[in-house]
Amino acid sequence: MELVLWAMIIFLACYIVRVVKGPTIWDRLLGMNLISAKIIMIIIIFASMNNTGYLLDFAIIYSLFGFIGTIFIALFLSKQKLGRRRGKK
Amino acid sequence: MFVLQIIGNILIGVSVAFMALGVFGIFKFDDFYKRVLIVSKIDTVGMLTLIIGLMLRHGFSFFSGKLLLIWIIMIVLSPLVAHIVLKASFQAGYRLDGEIIEPKELEDLNENEENIEE
Amino acid sequence: MEITQILLAIWLFVALFIVFESRVYRIIIYFGIFSLISSVIYLFMGAPDVAKGEAAVSAFATIFFIICAEKYYVNKADVLTEKKPKFNKGRWITKIVLPLLFVGGLFMLFMQFIPEIGEINTQLKDQYLARFMTDVGGENAVTAIYLGYRVYDTLFEALILVIVVVAVAHVSWYEKGDSVTDGYHSEIENYNTAIFTMRIIWPIILLFGVYLIMNGHISAGGGFQGGLAIACFFICRYMIYGIYDIPIKKVIRLEELVFLNIIIMAILAIFLGAENFIVERFPVDRGVYQTIYLLIMNILIGLKVACGFFILFYRYIAIERLDIVQKRNSKREK
Repeated sequence: MELVLWAMIIFLACYIVRVVKGPTIWDRLLGMNLISAKIIMIIIIFASMNNTGYLLDFAIIYSLFGFIGTIFIALFLSKQKLGRRRGKK
Repeated sequence: MFVLQIIGNILIGVSVAFMALGVFGIFKFDDFYKRVLIVSKIDTVGMLTLIIGLMLRHGFSFFSGKLLLIWIIMIVLSPLVAHIVLKASFQAGYRLDGEIIEPKELEDLNENEENIEE
Repeated sequence: MEITQILLAIWLFVALFIVFESRVYRIIIYFGIFSLISSVIYLFMGAPDVAKGEAAVSAFATIFFIICAEKYYVNKADVLTEKKPKFNKGRWITKIVLPLLFVGGLFMLFMQFIPEIGEINTQLKDQYLARFMTDVGGENAVTAIYLGYRVYDTLFEALILVIVVVAVAHVSWYEKGDSVTDGYHSEIENYNTAIFTMRIIWPIILLFGVYLIMNGHISAGGGFQGGLAIACFFICRYMIYGIYDIPIKKVIRLEELVFLNIIIMAILAIFLGAENFIVERFPVDRGVYQTIYLLIMNILIGLKVACGFFILFYRYIAIERLDIVQKRNSKREK
């Protein structure tokens, strides 16, 4: 199992390289989502190695809050280039 | 139980292979719309396989129940985030092969679409 | 090498990129990654309560930063095309790197004289760890510290949040927002799938917040984290329905009342004491009273934090809304 944990951390480093390098802002947003997923996997594997169930709460809290944060960034960025779009009449 | 553990280990190996393919792909593809594939399909499949493998390793217990909850949350949220980022990028005027539509043209496009709908 | 060391190295890498970056939206995304990794580091170093708080705070910090950035950079098209703004590099090596190296070297020298973590002779720590179960009750030592031994510190922290909320509510210049229900701001109307899924996970967040508050004295978590989750529930509500119909002044009153209740509860618990006043009249086990005290304090703090962050979020959105309403009215007049 430790090998899997090390593989996750290597993948995390690769995604951070992608986020830093990514040509557009959307690549960075996508990389942030991937990194939060990898962190959830790291926590799950760590909890499974030590057989401690309470660590799994952290996986739930990361997934929920990360979802809300990503949606907010995507919404506000999508308005950005347009200026203000017109509302419904 | 021994058989279940072996199956779980195999599944974990498969999931790590999937994620390695994702890392390979996110450097190989050269466009944003191609990279969305990694998040929405390959990485999701890797995560779900890994959680199923861990559930098989732990057997029928409270730990597996919590893992099942995380599994349900991830299978809903992970492709959805990819969808929302993709749609936001499309609405902001980003098109295939790095083409960016200017704001004024985009407003005209949106107004045309609304007129057609009306 | 351990996993924590590798994570710390990645953490430092991201922090350097935050320092040397000058484009706002990149910094916000880097900051999200930074706080995620820092939260995992807290978790591996054995501080689960702080890790939970960091995870919740990171989401809120991202939301507030993105709203502020959006207000500052309204209609500027060079955000997405990623032109690098002019940044006077100057002699940043002498200005930034050399002092950092100097401070780092001093720190490394100083680290030589610090003994290992396990070797410190801490009678106080042993005494606290041995006594907190009988003194305050509950199984979480952090809860015992911040609601038992250090309850006055908690009171002052709560007071700071109250002052911040009242200041934001009175300084921000949007006043008539209590009854606007047109749902103009809800850009999420274009995202049907997102709304559908948010309706599903909307109750789960509330349930999770209540779970965090109720289990505060047993497992990691507590009032602050649960309160943040409940505030997140209200943010989801705003994003689903896109309306601004909750009377904000009543929420401010509620927060002040809850803060008063926290003070009264703490003074009651300290001066009357469970052993002197109540136990003589109703002879039940002392742990029951302690559990009730911890539970009520956690619920009150959770309510207060939820109200505070809710008011902050609505005020931020409200200023933005006024901007939009003014633009729309000027368009109609034309």
